[in-house]
Amino acid sequence: MTTRRSLLASAAGLATAAALPAAAQSRLNVGVVLIGPVGDFGWSHMHDQGRRRMAELLGDRVAATTVESVAPPDFDRVVTQLVRTGHRLIFTTSFSYFAPTQRLAPQHPGVFFENATGPTTLPNMAIYNARFYEGRYIQGVIAARKSRSKTIGYVATFPVPEVIHAINTVMRGAWSVDPSMKLRVVWVNAWSNPAREADAARALIDQGCDVLCSHTDGPAPLQLANERGVFGFGQASDMTRFAPRAHLTSSVNNWGDYYAARARAVLDGSWSATDTWGGLGSGMFRMAPWTNMSPEEVSEAERIRDAIASGRLHPFEGPIFRQDGTQIIAAGQRLTDDQIRAQNYFYRGIEATIPG
Amino acid sequence: MTLVEAILLTVITAATPLLLAAIGELVVERAGVLNLGVEGMMIMGAAVGIAVALGTGSNLAGVAGAIAAGMAMAALFAALTLGLAANQVAAGLALSIFGLGLSGVVGSALVGVQRAGIGKLEIPLLSDIPFLGPLLFAQDPFVYGALALTVAVSWFLFRTRAGLVLRAVGEDAASAHALGHKVLLVRFLAILFGGACAGLAGAYLSLVLTPFWTSGMTGGRGWIALAIVVFAAWMPWRAAAGAALFGGVTILQLHAQAMGVPVASQLLAALPYLITILILVLIMRGRAGAAGPAALGQPFVPDR
Repeated sequence: MTTRRSLLASAAGLATAAALPAAAQSRLNVGVVLIGPVGDFGWSHMHDQGRRRMAELLGDRVAATTVESVAPPDFDRVVTQLVRTGHRLIFTTSFSYFAPTQRLAPQHPGVFFENATGPTTLPNMAIYNARFYEGRYIQGVIAARKSRSKTIGYVATFPVPEVIHAINTVMRGAWSVDPSMKLRVVWVNAWSNPAREADAARALIDQGCDVLCSHTDGPAPLQLANERGVFGFGQASDMTRFAPRAHLTSSVNNWGDYYAARARAVLDGSWSATDTWGGLGSGMFRMAPWTNMSPEEVSEAERIRDAIASGRLHPFEGPIFRQDGTQIIAAGQRLTDDQIRAQNYFYRGIEATIPG
Repeated sequence: MTLVEAILLTVITAATPLLLAAIGELVVERAGVLNLGVEGMMIMGAAVGIAVALGTGSNLAGVAGAIAAGMAMAALFAALTLGLAANQVAAGLALSIFGLGLSGVVGSALVGVQRAGIGKLEIPLLSDIPFLGPLLFAQDPFVYGALALTVAVSWFLFRTRAGLVLRAVGEDAASAHALGHKVLLVRFLAILFGGACAGLAGAYLSLVLTPFWTSGMTGGRGWIALAIVVFAAWMPWRAAAGAALFGGVTILQLHAQAMGVPVASQLLAALPYLITILILVLIMRGRAGAAGPAALGQPFVPDR
């Protein structure tokens, strides 16, 4: 499996090297490194869509290369190859790439790196992310309205802060409607493994959950929810077609405008290592059309979406308590972005445990 | 439906692709050929199966396409190991990697395409039996097929003359050749059968379990099928037990997590693969007699 990815990666590198004309100074070569296949119809797919949109917006001024399914051990080789073949802006689209990018960036000071979902920057490494937790809050509200068993099932990936704060925020949204909502979590320990995701969804449904949230990169849990007659949310792209009866809404990623803006910044020399964390308000993601919801549920969801986008409602407002009862912040305060990024505890009221 | 019934149902769906691939590989190994290309054949079956099903709109055509794809990959493997007497381990590994890559190419046009999975086939009266009914008699056709295949292979290997010849070829190819049996033909047919079963297992993944295409969707099941064959000491019914065990371990750890059992999820997730490694280590030691067909993995070149 690793060798297949390396074949794909070296083929991509060779193709790029062959395609580079001798004096392509004015055209910017952009590399996009994907953790999964473009065909996951989820996380990696939407990054590739972002690349297409960037190419659409900037035309001949950029030449983009996508390398897909790069496992973290292959990362160094792939990025070094991209750098050697003249790519000056490289997007590394996974949390798993943060540490290797942080290590490689100082070795290539003339190249600009952008890491998705990473926590800190370097002089030539920017970070970017979307405030998916805003979508999770809305999902929690809708789930509480839709659930009859009052139990939400969450197909989680790895116990990293991004997943933990997403779970916390779903429950926060759910509790704002019904404080008795419960949660069950299964950790599949993979960003993309459809059969295991489907099995995890089965286990959750058999344990009594009737609304499924998912953090994985594809539509498997949602599809299973459709088969079993429960509700679910799509992830990263509009997944209505995978689950016409089960789909409520999806958080649809939109990276293209950001990618185009960053490429433009490199081209006109104004690039700097920024920390962009855009939410619903900035357009870095949006909620897919509401399906299988009553008009009242839709208008409530839209009201909450607009409140979050305008800043009137903040999912991380106090009071916040840990599971053991200690208070993190009091009422009237808010968690800072760094605190949200570092959140590694579940809220009081969640009965699951964080592994490891 | 109680929780126990629900869990058992899920174990059956998890075990079926493993059993299908393991039965095919069992026949191949009984004939003396070590086919490590199961993973590649399985995922090609998955890709071609859903491609044909989407193109023609027919589930049956999809399944047929998957079997054909598995057999095509197997024919390639046979050309290398029988025609050129190449090292079987190397050829099998190469085929696995090739299959994974080629399936990505075949499946690239299928991204984001959705279709309805093959539904369950309920047997009219039997499926009303309280506990066993839904478990055994209201399953999808692949489950019935896997069980039928186990019965058929068991009968074939141990109750027919042809099966005896196949086992003889696997034990000592030179003696079988001296007796006048066509060793290469027998092995070729066995390899094709193994490829067909692996393709069928792949079709189950992409047509029933998660009816869409994702690159790498087999998730290592081919390797687990290989381990099951050894685990089963090359006996079909034990392979069924092994598949249920592996599938069961995978499912139970997910249920344990959903129930809130406080065991490290990473450890439980690694368990099926740890067992695979353990068994594959065992296959490499103690070759004398007790470890399966004596001629397993040795190329045969007829000298007359």
